[in-house]
Amino acid sequence: MEDFSIIILFLFVLFLLLGTGVWVGLALMGVAWVGMELFTSRPVGDVMITTIWTASSSWTLTALPLFIWMGEILYRTRLSEDMFKGLAPWMAGLPGGLVHTNIVGCTVFAAVSGSSAATLTTVGKMSIPELRRREYPEPMIIGTLAGAATLGLMIPPSLTLIVYGVTINESISKLFFAGILPGLVLASMFMAYVAISSRVSKKWNPAQEPPMTLGQRIANSRFLLPVICLIMVVIGSMYLGYATATEAAAFGVIGGLVLAASQGSLTWQTFTESLMGATRTSAMIALILAGAAFLSLSMGFTGLPRGLADLIAQWELSKFQLLMVLLVFYIVLGMFLDGISSVVLTMAVVEPMVRQAGIDLIWFGIFIVVVVEMAQITPPIGFNLFVLQGMTNHEMGFIARAAFPMFLIMVVMVFVLILFPEIATWLPENLRQAPGGG
Amino acid sequence: MPLAKRLRTALDFLYLGSGILAALCLIAILILIVVQMLARWTGEVFPGAPDYAGYAMAAASFLAFANALNRGAHIRVSILINAVGPKAQRIINIWCFAIGTAVAWYFVRYCVDFVYWSWKFNDISQGQDRTALWIPQSVMLLGAVIFAIALTDHLISLILKGDHRIQRDLVDQSFGE
Amino acid sequence: EKWDMPMAYSGSNFHSVTGAEFAKCVTTGTQGEIEIVTHPSGSLFPGGQIKRAIQTGQVPIGERLLSGHQNENAIFGVDSVPFLATSFDDADKLWSAAKPTLEKVLADQNLTLLYSVPWPPQGLYFRDEVNSVADMEGIKFRSYNNATARLAELTGMLPVTIEAAEISQAFATGVADSMVSSGATGYDRKVWESLNHFYEVDSWLPRNYIMVNSDVWSGVSDGNKAVVQACAGLAEYAGTWRAVQYTDFTLKGLRDGGMNVAPASDQLKGELQQIGETMTAEWLEAAGPDGAAIVEAFKASKAE
Ligand code: NA
Ligand code: NA
Repeated sequence: MEDFSIIILFLFVLFLLLGTGVWVGLALMGVAWVGMELFTSRPVGDVMITTIWTASSSWTLTALPLFIWMGEILYRTRLSEDMFKGLAPWMAGLPGGLVHTNIVGCTVFAAVSGSSAATLTTVGKMSIPELRRREYPEPMIIGTLAGAATLGLMIPPSLTLIVYGVTINESISKLFFAGILPGLVLASMFMAYVAISSRVSKKWNPAQEPPMTLGQRIANSRFLLPVICLIMVVIGSMYLGYATATEAAAFGVIGGLVLAASQGSLTWQTFTESLMGATRTSAMIALILAGAAFLSLSMGFTGLPRGLADLIAQWELSKFQLLMVLLVFYIVLGMFLDGISSVVLTMAVVEPMVRQAGIDLIWFGIFIVVVVEMAQITPPIGFNLFVLQGMTNHEMGFIARAAFPMFLIMVVMVFVLILFPEIATWLPENLRQAPGGG
Repeated sequence: MPLAKRLRTALDFLYLGSGILAALCLIAILILIVVQMLARWTGEVFPGAPDYAGYAMAAASFLAFANALNRGAHIRVSILINAVGPKAQRIINIWCFAIGTAVAWYFVRYCVDFVYWSWKFNDISQGQDRTALWIPQSVMLLGAVIFAIALTDHLISLILKGDHRIQRDLVDQSFGE
Repeated sequence: EKWDMPMAYSGSNFHSVTGAEFAKCVTTGTQGEIEIVTHPSGSLFPGGQIKRAIQTGQVPIGERLLSGHQNENAIFGVDSVPFLATSFDDADKLWSAAKPTLEKVLADQNLTLLYSVPWPPQGLYFRDEVNSVADMEGIKFRSYNNATARLAELTGMLPVTIEAAEISQAFATGVADSMVSSGATGYDRKVWESLNHFYEVDSWLPRNYIMVNSDVWSGVSDGNKAVVQACAGLAEYAGTWRAVQYTDFTLKGLRDGGMNVAPASDQLKGELQQIGETMTAEWLEAAGPDGAAIVEAFKASKAE
């Protein structure tokens, strides 16, 4: 069976290159090269450059460095401390304490950013130093961050939902509405997990926050105003029609610079440091994206993802069985591919299967986002793991283990979605814009 | 060895300079997007802005690759390297840099063809910018060449002197500990 | 031999369905000597890269909306000159008139043309009612290339650039208020959530072209060439038939979605016709004698 040998070969080369420590983007290119050389007769080098040029020069990609830059600016100003000062009094009383700022911070920032990596970078740069200073358990800090940052894909705007909507011709605005409630539900599940494990865990012994009266808490919330203003500007620019999702990122950078200047924390040094930092981080992500683009093209040529999907189609499953098989299928695929590639590569075969089973395609979009979110935190190729590795110097294995409970929560989320599909479908059905509205 | 020293200075200048160029490209993206929005709000037209921003994006990425490498920003799985002794570490590092260098020069080799054919076919952007594509693509090639040089540089230093010259960014490191 | 065939549009789109049937026909007809595997949704190469990928042998065969390449050569935009050919019959005649020239231009680029299928006719979408060109003054109009930007300019509209993926959101948030596109695009993107009027002005019928790399083609045996060409003929016929059916289907879909679907007012039609003449003249200037010959042949065949 040719498929089987392709799988083994891809896996072997991938583990060899990644495992010995070749840089991820270059390793992906190497794997893709081997796959194409062995299984196709096409000119590999030309195909590689065409694909990487297309992937690297994309207009929609420009939102990524800008949102990262915004995160760098916020990190280098007092804004990050302020956000903490504002959120902390409210979170400190909850079981689990300030770890909740990770989740709430990601949820709020997800409403600005369409990508998981940008959410992770911004919130992580703010929260990691603060949480460490208060001696929260490291795996908890890293794990919740890795998990909650994936909300950037679920809560609109979302790059994954845009790609899905375009691929299957569904309304993107409907998909955006569909993502809101599941995003909030998933965030509360993360928070519930934090609360419970803080009560159960013996290692849980963070520094206590000084007690505060309600008045003090409300007074302290003024520290949140700058961040909230920034988010309102970014979201407002999008929803009031001043900017597209990509352009809104520019509002983020300028808003960040203005806020930093108004606080007096904008110097030539912080400006250049934030700029160079953002340049390097986005270059790091761009190299991996380039490798991923070439790998998914190579897999497209070998026909592997489609072959697997075809195989599933032949089994003639019930609706629930089909969803379970697809869940496993996308989890496995998500270990090796980035989410957007696995959607694009498989949808041609999965879409008719799903339609035939009578599954609502808006609902299925949210299902897909949850599995793509899982892919972000599963090794060996999980984007959030890479980004966190870059930020914290932790080993990949440590981060993946820390994020594993979040992965399980997302699996639970799939079943919640199956049991209560209205979480995804109610809002788009009832918030349908009046013709001409908006 | 004044020649070697001069080469060293020139290479370091090359990596830093391309990094700064990349940062300027990032600013260019910001400016392009802002100007495009301003144009739209005021009833003016700025044709091709998204295309230019896309070229700037590719330029920002490729020109920064070498700088990001030198500052340890590129991600790698270092479980194995951290687990073994210094001698094995050196061998594994040579293998990694050799693979990286090979991939980078392979990329450069075909990127030259790519840019050449864009020029030869007179490949013009399909957007409203009507840019001759070999121009922005040459910037990608330039970045790829600098990246390949940087990898080779580290590989040679690793073989001759026993260590590569990657210095992790201090700011990045502050998140680490 | 396996031929990977990249296609830009989603698997359920009628062009992709036609392409899949063509692939099957060739695979069966050549008894597997040539096995065509289609890759829809731009999953192998996105639309913009497909022509170059075939040209340079990265894939042997593929489908592309050639008018996307009119910056490179104005001839490629022959099917998208506004108000030149405004019905399926006209589009067919224009295609016959342009085919020899297109084949020649493509042959110089190492490409052999197999078949071509039109998109449904392009109409005008607006948020508010429009009865004359004067009503269009200052409306934000989604343009995606120089020709549509020029159309906006000539009608006094304000061209804004919106990527295909951002169309729905752009209309929902008012970044744009109108566009020119087929009923199919509006139906697929469910634009009735934001826009209210579709005017069937049939301004042009762009076409997708299926092309094969000439080096690959010259290596195909005569018997197999005949099979591929026969399948291409069938596909062109079936695809065009589907385009007609799909036009009716999508227009009904727009109506069911709550849009007002109607022909343009006589005044608007007349004014647009004039703009069409201006744009045809401008296109002829860019396309040179080859373009003039095509338009002449087209007009002659229309007069028959
Ligand atoms: Na988001
Ligand atoms: Na993964």
